Amino acid sequence: MSPAEKHKLTANIKAQGCAAKLSPLELAQIVKSLPKVKSENLLCGTDNFEDAAVYKFSDELAIVSTIDFFPPLIDDPYLYGRIAAVNALSDVYAMGGKPLLALNVFCFPSCDYPLTLAEEIIRGGASAVDEAGCLLVGGHSIQAPEPIYGLSVIGTVSPQRILTNAGAKEADKIVLCKPLGMGVGLLSHKGGMLSENTYKELISNLCRLNGPCLEIALKYDLHAATDITGFGLIGHLHEMAKASGLKVRLNSKELPLLPEVLQCAEQGLVPAAAYANRKAYSEISRIDESVDLALSDLLFDPQTSGGLLFSVSAREAFQLAEELKQAEWPAKIIGDFLAGESGLIEVF
Amino acid sequence: MNEKLDLRGKLCPEPVIATKKVLDKKEVESIEALVDDEICVANLERLARSQKVHISVKKESGFYAVSLSRNLQTQADANIAGLPEAGQGAPDNSKTGTVLFITRETLGEGDAEFGKTLLGVFLQSMYESGHKPRAILLSNSGVKLLSSSSSSKKVLEDFKAGGSEVLACGLCVEFYGLKAEIATEQITNMFAICEYLNAADKLIQP
Repeated sequence: MSPAEKHKLTANIKAQGCAAKLSPLELAQIVKSLPKVKSENLLCGTDNFEDAAVYKFSDELAIVSTIDFFPPLIDDPYLYGRIAAVNALSDVYAMGGKPLLALNVFCFPSCDYPLTLAEEIIRGGASAVDEAGCLLVGGHSIQAPEPIYGLSVIGTVSPQRILTNAGAKEADKIVLCKPLGMGVGLLSHKGGMLSENTYKELISNLCRLNGPCLEIALKYDLHAATDITGFGLIGHLHEMAKASGLKVRLNSKELPLLPEVLQCAEQGLVPAAAYANRKAYSEISRIDESVDLALSDLLFDPQTSGGLLFSVSAREAFQLAEELKQAEWPAKIIGDFLAGESGLIEVF
Repeated sequence: MNEKLDLRGKLCPEPVIATKKVLDKKEVESIEALVDDEICVANLERLARSQKVHISVKKESGFYAVSLSRNLQTQADANIAGLPEAGQGAPDNSKTGTVLFITRETLGEGDAEFGKTLLGVFLQSMYESGHKPRAILLSNSGVKLLSSSSSSKKVLEDFKAGGSEVLACGLCVEFYGLKAEIATEQITNMFAICEYLNAADKLIQP
């Protein structure tokens, strides 16, 4: 038995990956008490729930700064490290940036687990940082009751090319680039309900860097971008719609989904964070009665290492989706931005 | 066959997985599962929906008691508009059998206290006879048999444990102010009661 089989990383973990986030309501409550910071060079701060902060140095250069970490979502330590790092790097991509430097953030109960597991986690993380063309230059580690791993990342972006939540325009199309159902999939795997093939597909999506996806998309007329993580598709779309002063019409029949997750959700394998998201966004979402309950659960499902989501002009959306598909991204046009109640998500 | 599962303290997704495993066994007719929180309840509701079994939930102090049963159809067909307790469904008409229809809290007329005792003796004798009614339907003051102070409550629970359905008319429960004392899963409506009576092979009305 390998150390990873003997010491199950997820044995006592309540919420997996991004499902461990504080709920949107809890987060709003604590962020409220933060002092408002203002600087003419701060292009993105805590307003609009952006994926990362952006600070302008000159007309050509701004830095993107972000941090992301979570407890183990699977028992394989190398893959856990890899997924946590991919997920952290994604926030830089979601702002249109390129990762430059990364620092490890690491909590590890070395009394409960052998150090070889820690090495594997870090090694998995380093593989993603390296593949991103980013430099892993250090970190900080402490003892803690449960393992936590992630990265603090600094990236660069041209101030003219920042992709925020606020830029979506009326009649834009919405393109989503990874399948939904990571939260339901992880929970179902933990319950032994996922087939081997679907598990492989889940892992390959979780481990996949969003960088190459952004690179393709940057050739198009993008107006806004984000990545879908803990608050689920509806949560992140809502932030974009609100920041852009528009509403969204979402076509539930066009959603890219992992295989089997719909059936798993139907049978009650829905993570707690999906219910928290549903509650938090109940006021701003209107889901047509014809949309199946399990499908609507997936709209609120917390995604770990989820896909990039772009708001792109209608005339280019189809071509963008096509080019992404050719590069084996399961990209789909899932809806439109329309004039209407700011932040509202209508699902049909 | 009825199964009891204590799933308190188990981390998600274990409660729903464990319940599904038991529900997958064909011989299991009903399950009573104890779970910690609303999330588990919501997931069990999804499971019940997907497996087309009836579900009812009772909030206890610090946990939830969730009953899943195969006997009743899902509630959709049987709702009567305007009845607050119209949640319980009509029976599966392919299942017949003996039905006891109890419309008052006494057996026959005469001295009230003696009548109550006599009804208890009747139910106890019926239970011990080994004839297992398909359903015992309670209406008007008959619903009082399920109140916590009733001496017949115990024998009705025995019938239920033995596989008989024990159901009370919702309007009557409301009228006699017994809502808090009777489990939601045991409350039905007049539509369902009519369906049971029509489907019965034999009707006994003490």
